[in-house]
Amino acid sequence: MSDAQPLRKLVCVFAASALWAAPMARAADPAEFFEMRVRPVLAKNCLPCHTASKMGGLDMSSREALLSGGKSGPAILPGNPDASLLHQAVTHTHARLKMPPTGKLTETEVADIAAWIKDGAVWPAKAQPAGGQQWWAFQPVRRPELPRVRNQAGVRTGIDRFIAAKYEEKDLKPAPQASRQTLLRRVTLDLTGLPPTPAELDGFLRDRSPQAYERVVDRLLSSRHYGERWGRYWLDLARYSDDKLNSTQDEPYPNAHRYRDWVIDALNNDMPYDVFVKAQIAGDLLPEKDRLAAGTGFYSLSPEFQDDRVDATTRGFLALTVACARCHDHKFDPIPTRDYYSLQGVFASSEKDELPLAPGDRVKAWKEHKERIEKAEEEIKEFLKSQATALAEVLAARTSDYLLERETETLDQEILERWRAFVKLKHDYPFLKPWQDAVARQAPRAELEKIAAEIQEQAVAVQTERKKIEETNLIRLGGSKKRGDLAAADLLSLERDKYFFWRQLYGENKIDDNLDSGVLYLKEKKLERFLAGPFGAHLGRLRASLETLKKTLPEQYPFLHTMKDSAKPHNVKIQIRGNRETLGDEAPRQFLTSLSGGAPKPFAQGSGRLELAEAIANPANPLTARVMVNRVWLGHFGTGLVRTPSNFGRLGEQPSHPELLDYLAGRLMDQGWSLKKLHREIVLSAVYQLSSAPREDNMRADAANRHLWRANRRRLDFEALRDSLLAAGGSLDATAGGKPVPLTAADNHRRTVYGFVSRRRLDNNFLLFDFPNPNATSEYREVTDTALQRLYFLNSTLVEAQSKALAKRLENAAPENPARIREAYRILFGREPGKTEVEIGTGFLAASRNAWPRYTQALMASNEFLFID
Amino acid sequence: MPPPITRRDILRTMGSGFGLLSMAGTAAHGGSSLDPKPTHFPARAKHVIYLFLNGGPSQVDTFDPKPMLTRYHGKAAPSGNLKTERKTGNLLKSPFEFKRGGQSGLEISEIFPGLVRHSDDLCVIRSMYTALPNHEPSLFMLNCGHILPGHPSMGSWLTYGLGTLNRNLPGFVVLCPGLPVIGPQLWTSSYLPGVYQGVHIRNQETDPEKLIPNLRNTGLSDADQRAQLDLVAQLNRRQLDRTGPDPQLEAGIASMEIAYRMQTEAMDAFDIRREPQAVRDRYGDSDFQRGCLMARRLVERGVRMVQVYYGNGQPWDNHDDIMIHRKLGNEVDKSITALLDDLKATGLFNETIVIIGGEFGRTPSVEVSGLVNVQNGRDHNNHGFSVAVAGGGFKGGLAYGATDDFGFKAVENRVHPHDLHATVLHQLGLDHTRLTYRYSGRDFRLTDVEGNVVKPLLS
Repeated sequence: MSDAQPLRKLVCVFAASALWAAPMARAADPAEFFEMRVRPVLAKNCLPCHTASKMGGLDMSSREALLSGGKSGPAILPGNPDASLLHQAVTHTHARLKMPPTGKLTETEVADIAAWIKDGAVWPAKAQPAGGQQWWAFQPVRRPELPRVRNQAGVRTGIDRFIAAKYEEKDLKPAPQASRQTLLRRVTLDLTGLPPTPAELDGFLRDRSPQAYERVVDRLLSSRHYGERWGRYWLDLARYSDDKLNSTQDEPYPNAHRYRDWVIDALNNDMPYDVFVKAQIAGDLLPEKDRLAAGTGFYSLSPEFQDDRVDATTRGFLALTVACARCHDHKFDPIPTRDYYSLQGVFASSEKDELPLAPGDRVKAWKEHKERIEKAEEEIKEFLKSQATALAEVLAARTSDYLLERETETLDQEILERWRAFVKLKHDYPFLKPWQDAVARQAPRAELEKIAAEIQEQAVAVQTERKKIEETNLIRLGGSKKRGDLAAADLLSLERDKYFFWRQLYGENKIDDNLDSGVLYLKEKKLERFLAGPFGAHLGRLRASLETLKKTLPEQYPFLHTMKDSAKPHNVKIQIRGNRETLGDEAPRQFLTSLSGGAPKPFAQGSGRLELAEAIANPANPLTARVMVNRVWLGHFGTGLVRTPSNFGRLGEQPSHPELLDYLAGRLMDQGWSLKKLHREIVLSAVYQLSSAPREDNMRADAANRHLWRANRRRLDFEALRDSLLAAGGSLDATAGGKPVPLTAADNHRRTVYGFVSRRRLDNNFLLFDFPNPNATSEYREVTDTALQRLYFLNSTLVEAQSKALAKRLENAAPENPARIREAYRILFGREPGKTEVEIGTGFLAASRNAWPRYTQALMASNEFLFID
Repeated sequence: MPPPITRRDILRTMGSGFGLLSMAGTAAHGGSSLDPKPTHFPARAKHVIYLFLNGGPSQVDTFDPKPMLTRYHGKAAPSGNLKTERKTGNLLKSPFEFKRGGQSGLEISEIFPGLVRHSDDLCVIRSMYTALPNHEPSLFMLNCGHILPGHPSMGSWLTYGLGTLNRNLPGFVVLCPGLPVIGPQLWTSSYLPGVYQGVHIRNQETDPEKLIPNLRNTGLSDADQRAQLDLVAQLNRRQLDRTGPDPQLEAGIASMEIAYRMQTEAMDAFDIRREPQAVRDRYGDSDFQRGCLMARRLVERGVRMVQVYYGNGQPWDNHDDIMIHRKLGNEVDKSITALLDDLKATGLFNETIVIIGGEFGRTPSVEVSGLVNVQNGRDHNNHGFSVAVAGGGFKGGLAYGATDDFGFKAVENRVHPHDLHATVLHQLGLDHTRLTYRYSGRDFRLTDVEGNVVKPLLS
């Protein structure tokens, strides 16, 4: 990466530019003046649009480029600022060109540019990094020869030849082969996310044939649990979630799991990876739509509040950070801003869709039925509201009687109680104050009557005024209250004090613990008491009819979250510096320039999604296969051949074994894009089967194990951890697919991949063990080790329950403690205990009564259980 | 309090290893920790208490008095209304009086009588602004430094940068009885390691056992649990002897011991029932008020950052009736005053930055949209708002920056949340341009590529 250093320094200069508050004396050295005062200004304000994007035909990335200029001619005339277009544009003295479009530069910045031009526009040459297009990741995938290695010992497969060549180059000695027990546990957890059973352990240890391990691998790859394990990693990239990031309430996606299950099934059926990719980008447009459209859940379940589809697509499938080019040409990779908007146009021309998994008439019937229910509910609500309001107006006309408690035999007892509660309250408006004061000082009856009469008058008047305002507002809204209009509408309201007086008399909202609505506004049962005769009968009929409708509503038809092309596909305009207010040229919908082998051809079919899918899942694309090979490698070794799996660009890392990456990418494509064959080839290699034992000499040369001279010990991810606990307790419910179940549900013993994943409130257990954030595409699992995680082993209900279940299971498995201990080790660690370990166990168990669950819990809490060795 | 066990302690007591542990790389991306880390330069403060008044408190009714607004009440703003989320109408004066307090004579609304008394401790920034008048992006900006989700929160960044001073407690604690709008995305560690995630405590409870998951073992006596842990430690050490040195396994052994002690220490730290009744009375007994007291206890015990949300949803979002600010203001004033009093009494005030503010401000003009029932409230306003900071070396008695005559837009010494973040990090001894994390091949920062330390705010 050393060749990228000058550029990185440059970025720091950009960032620091805002700090130059104090004017700086003109540097004696013109080159320094340029670097300190001019380049940062150009970089921040001009280069975003005037390098690879060449807005107005102008490239400003060098002095030569400025001299040759753009559509309006040369940008600078060295020595003469006034005659230089650049200067005219930034001073806004040019008739047409006024730059930058986001707002004028400061006076100091303008003066610096003028001074710089006057001094001859010195632009020191910099050591430029090799052209972006030369970067390894953009080179075609080669089919490298297998390297020759001197020491053939420990070389099993093609992979091992590449690995061993590096050992020889770096003078590393590989660790010995892992024990059979270690290997079985490793490969079983890796491929299925579950530990081997004691029976599987016995079977493997008994099978002394050379093909024993291969048979295990084939068994695991054909297990349904393989897709459950590896599908989940794909869902990390797809930012899969079972609900929306709704800002105020939970809002599940009831059909999201169909995408999750589609991913799992696709892997289990070994769907060719190119088809898998195409299905997710454009499954709805492929001939095999019925089988593949579900894949577009990748987009239709996108996170809310942002359009990250370009980002998820390019990082997920291509390991390119195209989203960095949203505001400026990519600073490190050959990705002009236009490319971002070209892809953005593809997605802007696509829409979310739902594909019902039921006959059309059933869908239609359900939707109509649902609409009838909503209409009936609305009708009842409106009826009750109009009746309650009418009654409130009638009651308001007797306000003074209620206040004075006059002619009580003609007053309604319940309403009277409401008034009594109401006048006792403290009100933050003046209308009731005279009454409250008069009562407090026990004013004479005549005065009370006068005040009561006034209040009655005001109570009637405020309702009249409110109704007038409502009528005016409805006219202003054009007769309809659509929520979209309301925010922008210019409406009237009662003045504040009157409003609260009105609300406490006529409003529907709660006032106080004793008053569930305005004093005069009755709800539900309270109102129904007054609805006699035809009014009551009408309400009864409406309700009965709603009840029937609700009872007969069938379950909603299932559907897939999919995508479709918009009726009118369109290009979008480049947003200059990512600002939607300042638009530049239109960006034609087309593929990335750097991957098109020349000028890209604009997409011609609909949104262009299908053409985009074809371009990505294309054997000529140098990235797609490499990126996926690297992800699979990462899953097996804990680190990728490229350690930045979603960034193969210049800011990513270079591969530790570039030829091996190409070899495997080539094999993937040549073997029909079969991921299972790729997994098989990897886990059958010798390097995969090494022990994790350290060697002092190797540690000195390669402590980070970049060259894989031993196995990496890896902490179980949360899914494998929870599933292993359930498996150990004998409680695992292996049901496949279907609706997600919250992890906190007491009887949820299903595999963790079927747990409810929430963007809004991710379950604490997920958070605790580094589950990726479902609001953004995630390239690998962070691994932390915290005390809070260990509390989970000490005190969580799940660990407690499974340690008891395992104790019970062992009790039934053998009569004596030593045999039970042996079985516990086989279940939890996939190996036999040593003699001392049995002694430690029997000692612990003998020290107190009922110690078995505490013992099994201790084993579950030990590092050996938590790590894959 | 026993000193926290470090990895070095464990190694010393075990006496194992090839002497190469410092070189030993862990697999993949592990190796993060809460150990205290060196700062970039000497720190002025050690802790942050962020009192988040979610919903958007109105600047012209709290910290930014506007006589012109009173004079022009009921009239159209001469320069027109700025574009905000909803339709607003004529200018609406504040129903509250502003009071001068302390030596500085800083003016603060009467809804904060206690803060008026603390005028000389408060550094009021009257010129804050953000990009958008919507809750979600503004919440993300104030908390995570970006308008989109998917970036680590300030608490996560500073725990990442500084570690914690008490490994038996989480480094970053968030108190909210339920969820503010957006929820856990506001305290996410996102691409930073999960250990820096804010630990959300639903503080409507007072019993610590109900506050922290898995904190208490209900089935075992302490002696039994100790014996069980000794067994775990014995098994772990045997494994380590077998495998040879491995920092991951060693970290796991240390974490287990910390977890054991956390059971006792967190029970104490989170239990405000252990405070004298007189103290609890000074703070008050609402969720927010208890949250302030809990924040004090946590900071006293070394927690790096505590964020207290006023409540669920967005209670300060008073579109309809600005009078509600009085009730909210009086409530928070009581406990914030008690908190400042206590921090000053113990000397923690000097090393604790207390931030008081929301995601944006409110319009000086009245909202007239169809979404309100009464026109006595204010719409969201991202163009100008106030945030108050106290302690941690911020200059007391200062009003910094200014909005225009009516309080609409920050016009003088404008301070963006990036600048606020940069300044807070600066007081904690961190250079915001150097507090980076490499993710997906790029160095990320809390302040993105922006942010300046606002020196005039600092004493």
